[in-house]
Amino acid sequence: MTLADLLLTIVKIAIILGFILNFAGLSVWADRRQSALVQHRVGPNRAVVKVPSNPLRLVIAGAAVAIGAPFGFFFWNAAPGLEQARMTTGLEIAILVGWFWMLLLSNHVRKHGADNGFDELVSRVPPRNYFYGGLAAHLLVLPLVRALPPQVWATQWAPGICGTLAFVMIAGAGFYAASKLPDGKTELRLAGTLHAAADTVKAFMKEDLAPKRADLLLYSLAPIISMTTALVTVAVVPFGSSLCFKDTNLDGMLDLHELGGLANVIDASGACPANYNTVPFMIADIDMGLLFVFAIAGTGIIGAALAGWASDSKPALLGGLRATSQMVSYEVALGLAIVGMLMICGTVNLREIVEWQGQNTWGIFAQPLAFFLFFAAAVAETKRIPFDLPEGESELGAGYFIEYSGGKWLLFMVGEYAEFVFSSALIVTLFFGGYHLPFLHGDGLHIAFGDSVLYELKMSHLSVTIIHFLAFSTKTIGFVFFHLFIRWTLPRFRYDQLMKLGWTKLLPLTLVNIMVTGAVMLAIDAGGPQVSKAMDLVADITQGILALGGLLGTVAFVTYLLEPPKRQRIVVSTSAKLADAAGGVKPSRMQA
Amino acid sequence: MSTTAPDLSENKPWTKRAVRYDEPAVIPRPKRTAGVQTYIPAWAKGTGITMKAFFVNFKERLLGQKRDPVLENYDGGLTTLEYPEEKRPYPERFRGLHRLTIRDDGSMRCVACLCCSTACPAQCIHIVPGEYPEGDARRGYEKYPTEFVIDELRCIFCGFCVEACPCDAIRMDTGMHPVPYDSREQFIYRRDLMMSFTDRDGERHSDNTRHEPGDPTHPGVTRKHDKH
Repeated sequence: MTLADLLLTIVKIAIILGFILNFAGLSVWADRRQSALVQHRVGPNRAVVKVPSNPLRLVIAGAAVAIGAPFGFFFWNAAPGLEQARMTTGLEIAILVGWFWMLLLSNHVRKHGADNGFDELVSRVPPRNYFYGGLAAHLLVLPLVRALPPQVWATQWAPGICGTLAFVMIAGAGFYAASKLPDGKTELRLAGTLHAAADTVKAFMKEDLAPKRADLLLYSLAPIISMTTALVTVAVVPFGSSLCFKDTNLDGMLDLHELGGLANVIDASGACPANYNTVPFMIADIDMGLLFVFAIAGTGIIGAALAGWASDSKPALLGGLRATSQMVSYEVALGLAIVGMLMICGTVNLREIVEWQGQNTWGIFAQPLAFFLFFAAAVAETKRIPFDLPEGESELGAGYFIEYSGGKWLLFMVGEYAEFVFSSALIVTLFFGGYHLPFLHGDGLHIAFGDSVLYELKMSHLSVTIIHFLAFSTKTIGFVFFHLFIRWTLPRFRYDQLMKLGWTKLLPLTLVNIMVTGAVMLAIDAGGPQVSKAMDLVADITQGILALGGLLGTVAFVTYLLEPPKRQRIVVSTSAKLADAAGGVKPSRMQA
Repeated sequence: MSTTAPDLSENKPWTKRAVRYDEPAVIPRPKRTAGVQTYIPAWAKGTGITMKAFFVNFKERLLGQKRDPVLENYDGGLTTLEYPEEKRPYPERFRGLHRLTIRDDGSMRCVACLCCSTACPAQCIHIVPGEYPEGDARRGYEKYPTEFVIDELRCIFCGFCVEACPCDAIRMDTGMHPVPYDSREQFIYRRDLMMSFTDRDGERHSDNTRHEPGDPTHPGVTRKHDKH
């Protein structure tokens, strides 16, 4: 391992831990706050930091310039074969920033009033028309750039101008947003997410109590074990496609000076060309990937068991026992549910499983039953509703961590949520194509069904990698929310129902799944080249369905978001009459 | 399974017939169809309800389309009144903290008749009547409270004192609720404090005008009648 490898590993650990921990903390908050929304309550959102506006303006404008600068700067450099991609990227980003910013501005001005003529002009168009216009422009740009004659886009200045346009839009939006901040101090709430930070600080400042006769060593060890195991498992999950660095001195190792030599373009499979060093976007690219996950996740059981035992408390002991037997039971179903997927991909390395899904189809199409089984078992494995018997309030209080307080309790809590972010990441990796997006290959967008190519756009290695990372994060976050929806919906099972489901339903079904998978694989192998060609076409069609579904879903969602609200004003009581006379209930500052 | 409706024909006005059931009503066990047994349709339906509620409210919070918690709260949805910052105006007839009304010249209207303290069911009003000083036009006609104390902790805000007052001297229209303090002493409201309160609009004006002895509009007995 060279110094560069070490450095990159540390950077990767920082990125991935930052993602998991931040998101675990955020989902603790989200679980409380958004579940309140489900019940038509507001939930915790009061944490606020008053920041002086001028430094904040500097931060916003500076961030906008920093984000936009690479487009305005690097797109002037020559990049043979990538001119079209750069033009498209520059224009698409300029359009995206443009409509999004005008939409926000229109919404803002309509609520808070215009500051100048420009505001007035922007607010004349209702916010959602900006979205429709932007969408049309997004789609128009794709064929337009391709239709331009090569002597236009092949020149160096065309991509440069498009990049500069993107830079101007981003920086302009940042500067205008900065100018909209109120004078003096800005109340920073970040949509209420600061509550998560405030809760963390509070938990660590609370008194750390321990039962008198607790085994102090084990008692302190338990939260650390359950937190660590949740975090360590993330090491083998690929967060994005591999990076390729040029091996200038041809020694087959990555050296520090080679870190600048990121490949410009790679081929469709995502594999690095010869004389390039491959750096996978995961902390440990080990061949026993999934086995490592199960081994470490199995260790997590010890945390719950120790906490239950060491607390010297009957509810804790019962909770610990329940947690242990539940996790042991469901580990069996969890392991067997993915065997079908492993048979198809022929590997337990998570990176290779993801690559298989990129070249063929997402796991959910290959193994639909296994997905449901794995998902149910994963929910049970993370001890979440409807399987959260170990912490059943009605009979056990908080279960195995009933005796914990302050920071140690927080470790359990965040550990549980980290585990659950991780289980979402694992489900995405195994069944939802990991970092892959439909039709996005290592060398760019390539929309094709079988042999008929519909659209092609070459993209640079860096932009594909960034999109892959964003895709993985978005999918994981989406799945976390799906988990949360289930948690907010279902009541808790009884313990005997839990055990029955695990041993008599999930386990036999996983075995059936393995057998059926084996039979189908044999049948496809025996079918010869025609069958495998047909399977490839079916795989492409599933990709098409995903792409279309994702696109339409996004459009439908944004359209729904931008629909103007329907309000019915009813003024009956004298209280309402007084409020109406005052022009509605206006928030005012809290007074003593 | 069947229940007989209670026989209302024999209902007496003073008593209600007990409802008799021939046999207890039993909700039939749902048929164990595949849908019920797999739990998936019910789960999907429930998750759909949750997601709908979530996205409706999420959208409102995200886009700042918060509905008015007092005026627009009849369609369901997120109608939380975020209290210390947002307040529902008290209704017009809300009985809040007491205030002592004053005359045009700034002196108090109270004549220390003790009607309010007599009417008070919580016995929270304490009045010490005093004579106006020698030479004051009101001396001999009226008294005034040298001390007027209300224990707002004991007060049950029934409004009887306001009803009992013959002079419209005490009112509960301040629109203020008792403020939480940290000692009992602070809940003892005294005369001058209650005289300083206004009504909820910040005014002291009263339509119920006061006719002082000696005014031509004064309807009562004056000193000129003492010879009769």
